[in-house]
Amino acid sequence: MENNINYNIIILGGGQVAAHAATTIRQEDESSSLAIITNENYLPYERPPLSKSFLLNKVKESDFLFYNEDHYKKLNIDILKNEEVINIDFEKKLLESKNKKITYTKLLIATGCKNRTLDLENVNSDDVYYLRDINESIQIKNKLDLAKNILIIGGGFIGLEIASSANQLGKNVDVIELADSLMGRIVPKEIATIVKNKHQKNGVNVHLNTEIISITKIDDGYEINLSDNSVVKCDMIIVGIGAMPSVDIFKDSPLKIDNGILTDQNNKTSIENVFAAGDVANFFHPLYEENIRLESWKHAQNHGVAAGKNITGIKTEYKEIPWMWSDQYDLNLQLTGRCDQYDSFIKRGKDENEGIIYFFIKNNKIVGACGLGIGGKIGKDIRLAGMLSERKVEIEEDFLSDPSSKLNKLLKK
Amino acid sequence: MNSENKQWIEVGTTDQIDMEDLIRFDHEGKTYAIYHIEDGFYATDGICTHEAVHLEEGIVMDDEIECPMHQGIFNIKTGKAMGPPVCIDLKTYQVKVEENKIYIEI
Repeated sequence: MENNINYNIIILGGGQVAAHAATTIRQEDESSSLAIITNENYLPYERPPLSKSFLLNKVKESDFLFYNEDHYKKLNIDILKNEEVINIDFEKKLLESKNKKITYTKLLIATGCKNRTLDLENVNSDDVYYLRDINESIQIKNKLDLAKNILIIGGGFIGLEIASSANQLGKNVDVIELADSLMGRIVPKEIATIVKNKHQKNGVNVHLNTEIISITKIDDGYEINLSDNSVVKCDMIIVGIGAMPSVDIFKDSPLKIDNGILTDQNNKTSIENVFAAGDVANFFHPLYEENIRLESWKHAQNHGVAAGKNITGIKTEYKEIPWMWSDQYDLNLQLTGRCDQYDSFIKRGKDENEGIIYFFIKNNKIVGACGLGIGGKIGKDIRLAGMLSERKVEIEEDFLSDPSSKLNKLLKK
Repeated sequence: MNSENKQWIEVGTTDQIDMEDLIRFDHEGKTYAIYHIEDGFYATDGICTHEAVHLEEGIVMDDEIECPMHQGIFNIKTGKAMGPPVCIDLKTYQVKVEENKIYIEI
């Protein structure tokens, strides 16, 4: 391939946004030249399996591509793999990698997030694992084959999903979390406690309010002193302490960045003909009337679709209600809407078997909800809660708190 | 199973399923989903093809059923998987209504 290339449309980043944006662009525009530039050696793939079914050897890489190679060929979408863009010049509309100079007319930035990292004293960095992409998942999987005792630092969704998988693979797992509750501030404590109890019942040691005091290298791994006075031996350390937008290459550029790339409701950034979508975008949400940034599967899909339309000139306002899930053991946790800005909450259901939901209420309307249940127990009500929040339907506490009342009745009012 | 072995099985009555809703029907170890939509009554397999969750808890919108676990969507009439995360279609079944009784052919 030539070293100087030009495309009408370039999507920078080869994840979920890229797969859906590129496909959407082609539905509207058959003639513009179009490329996805990715620093990975894979076609765009699903990430949810990386912490779950892929670690458990239930699926292989080719099972969770969004589309196979034929799809992109048929749609005349070039995918430039293993291409690390190191410099960008918005004025010249130019992307530079080690060996290539690539110019564009329109650019969609979908570089996603990168993991927050931790410096651990006395630990060889090769023994510390993070999870974001397929290579890291393969590394974790290979190491899990050999390791017996796993320490997971961070009691968030990723750490807990890996803990659940490692536990199901028969490993001894310790999870340490600085806060007094798992899964951050937005998951209600009662729900977080059910999840914690599930982990503990399955044999995972969960250490809340805990930090590392010291680490000593021993023959076959590490001995770690924790602030709860326990001593944990491990031969593998996995860190899951959150992520931040992947914006390093834009640092010295005029692109406006504040907790991600700032965009309007139409994926437009501060620079003409430059768009952003997915985890990396801090976008204006018309319903909430402020900028928000989301890291979730559904958002990456639909924000990518919207970006594809906006790039081709079909003005598409993105105002999806946030929604995400986490699967641990047989538990399915879901969050929708805004779970951090409410006056009060209404609880429905008593436990995970019945399904337990916290509806977050502001001005007598649902603004968000968090639910936990076995299998798909709470999905319908979470979905309906999202729709009720979108339509700003007034609610009554007695109705909402009664597990037998059907929420879709409120939609039909 | 060849067509001669198929039979009509009663799954319930029309008043048991609200408009834009579904019920679950279990028969000989299999689970079916029976829907009531604007155009009538329809039946598909009752378990999502993605992660083995009962569609019974799902949500019916127009002629689509959305799985409660990961919001995968299927067309109720054709069983077609409408996009990620679902990619395998649902099996559909013939439905007939006599008097107010619903039957599916399995």
